[in-house]
Amino acid sequence: MEPVPANSPLSQDTVDFEALRADFPIFAAGSQPLHYLDSAASAQKPAVVIESIRQCYSRAYGPVHRGLYPLAENASEDYEGARQTIAKFINAGRAQQIVFTRSATESINLVAQGWAEPRLQPGDEIWVSRMEHHSNFLPWQRVCEKRGARLRMIPLDGSGRLDLAKAEGLFGKKSRLIAITQVSNVLGTINPIRDIVASARQQHIPVLVDAAQSVGHMPVDVQDLDCDFLVASAHKMCGPTGIGFLYGKSDRLAETEPLLLGGGMVDEVDIDGSSWADIPARFEAGSPNLAGAVGLACAADYLHGIGLQAIEQRVGELARLAYERLSKVSGIRLYGPEPGPQRSGIIAFNIDDIHPHDVAHIAAEHGVAIRAGHHCCQPLMQHLGVSSTARASFNLYNNEQDIAALEQAILDTRRILGQG
Amino acid sequence: MSNTSVYKAVLLDHFHNPRNKGELDAMGMVRRGSNPRCGDEIEVGIDCHNGALEAVRFRGRGCSICLASASMMTECISGLQIAQARQLVDGFQQWFGNSDEATPPHENLAALGTIRQHPARKKCVLLAWQALAENLDEIEPRKRE
Repeated sequence: MEPVPANSPLSQDTVDFEALRADFPIFAAGSQPLHYLDSAASAQKPAVVIESIRQCYSRAYGPVHRGLYPLAENASEDYEGARQTIAKFINAGRAQQIVFTRSATESINLVAQGWAEPRLQPGDEIWVSRMEHHSNFLPWQRVCEKRGARLRMIPLDGSGRLDLAKAEGLFGKKSRLIAITQVSNVLGTINPIRDIVASARQQHIPVLVDAAQSVGHMPVDVQDLDCDFLVASAHKMCGPTGIGFLYGKSDRLAETEPLLLGGGMVDEVDIDGSSWADIPARFEAGSPNLAGAVGLACAADYLHGIGLQAIEQRVGELARLAYERLSKVSGIRLYGPEPGPQRSGIIAFNIDDIHPHDVAHIAAEHGVAIRAGHHCCQPLMQHLGVSSTARASFNLYNNEQDIAALEQAILDTRRILGQG
Repeated sequence: MSNTSVYKAVLLDHFHNPRNKGELDAMGMVRRGSNPRCGDEIEVGIDCHNGALEAVRFRGRGCSICLASASMMTECISGLQIAQARQLVDGFQQWFGNSDEATPPHENLAALGTIRQHPARKKCVLLAWQALAENLDEIEPRKRE
């Protein structure tokens, strides 16, 4: 491993992250350098993940749980093997606690409609936070409206952290579920999930964790968190699109009704009534996404091989450096907490009165890919008093040059459109 | 900055020094165009006398492209007869939606052409034009009464 130059502003890594960049073919694909700072929307894929999907389709493809010949048996084994990999990756006690879905979004909808809706009574409360992604807001809003329950919101303090002291009734008698993100996709705030679950546990209130921005970015241990449900998407953790998962405590999954009915999820079907298959098959109607599961498991193995703690530290360092550099730009407003252990690699910002679309467009002309918009967080935007922001988000393949390019793009944006 | 930049001098001039921008309280008719995806909103107001657009003004919030497009639109459209204005709006929407069409319906609108290569920003350009089209749609039935 090449030593890190002594003058590098990044701390010495035990992993050679610069070399890992070569694992991602996208960075060699174009004629211009790509500064990809939109990983919070979707992460790039390492060659091993792409190859695992190719191998699945070209050498080992067959129907899952539906055939008696070797190809089909192998496909079933690969699919269940992927489940075991994901269970280990988040330290679930049993592989059967992992349900494959299309996405974190689908996982939340499954819990909202399959678990919460049948047991919610008028006057009950479901709690979310002000920083939730629409996918951890709308499903709860709908079930509350349907059942006459009340959707409540944990407010934020001025720095973009949860203001639990002001969330009166969060752990109260009416609270039926707390659905909360582990990492904000806008503010980068890392929420104190363990503490929230510990307090909720005393009042027997279940907790669902939206881990879309945390799984694959930092060590996530569902037994340590002690949460009832946890959801994530593969594509945000260097895996393929179209697959995600739901983790649930066994008793909670047993209480959950399936949303999709069809092939593969039944025990017996009779004209007078039918019974469901065991968990998790009960929640996976239709032919399973074998290649997706294989790709997801491969991504988990890849990230595990690097080390989640090392990734978290590297991305944290990049975010700290970016925060420091950007905070010196005149007219910039950075959202979310100061860099530190409670902050991930996501930085949302605005410059003067310049529209985020213009920032992102000029950045794109510099080969810098950032996001601009409300980031599916309109309640949070209202809290911040803006309609949209620009957002740069970091992952393990980013480096100091990406930060320099972003900084240059922002300075150019000011020069062209602002008072800069 | 690449030479394919959409931030041409003409657009920047209209962004920094917008024409016909301000309050619309005194305008005869006001219609709004909005883009819920980004929260942008443009209101276009018109004053119409004897079948002609005596004044066209706008206000609102949006990106530089959105505001520049609105400003350029008001310049091109002011003073036209309703039928001419409608022809220009239709012609603009057709030209803007079709990258193969070389010539814009008014030479002063040519700088907006590069944005045709950026589908995510087309709505920014069209916001003001859609609001104006609504004004015109509203005013023509009134004229027949």
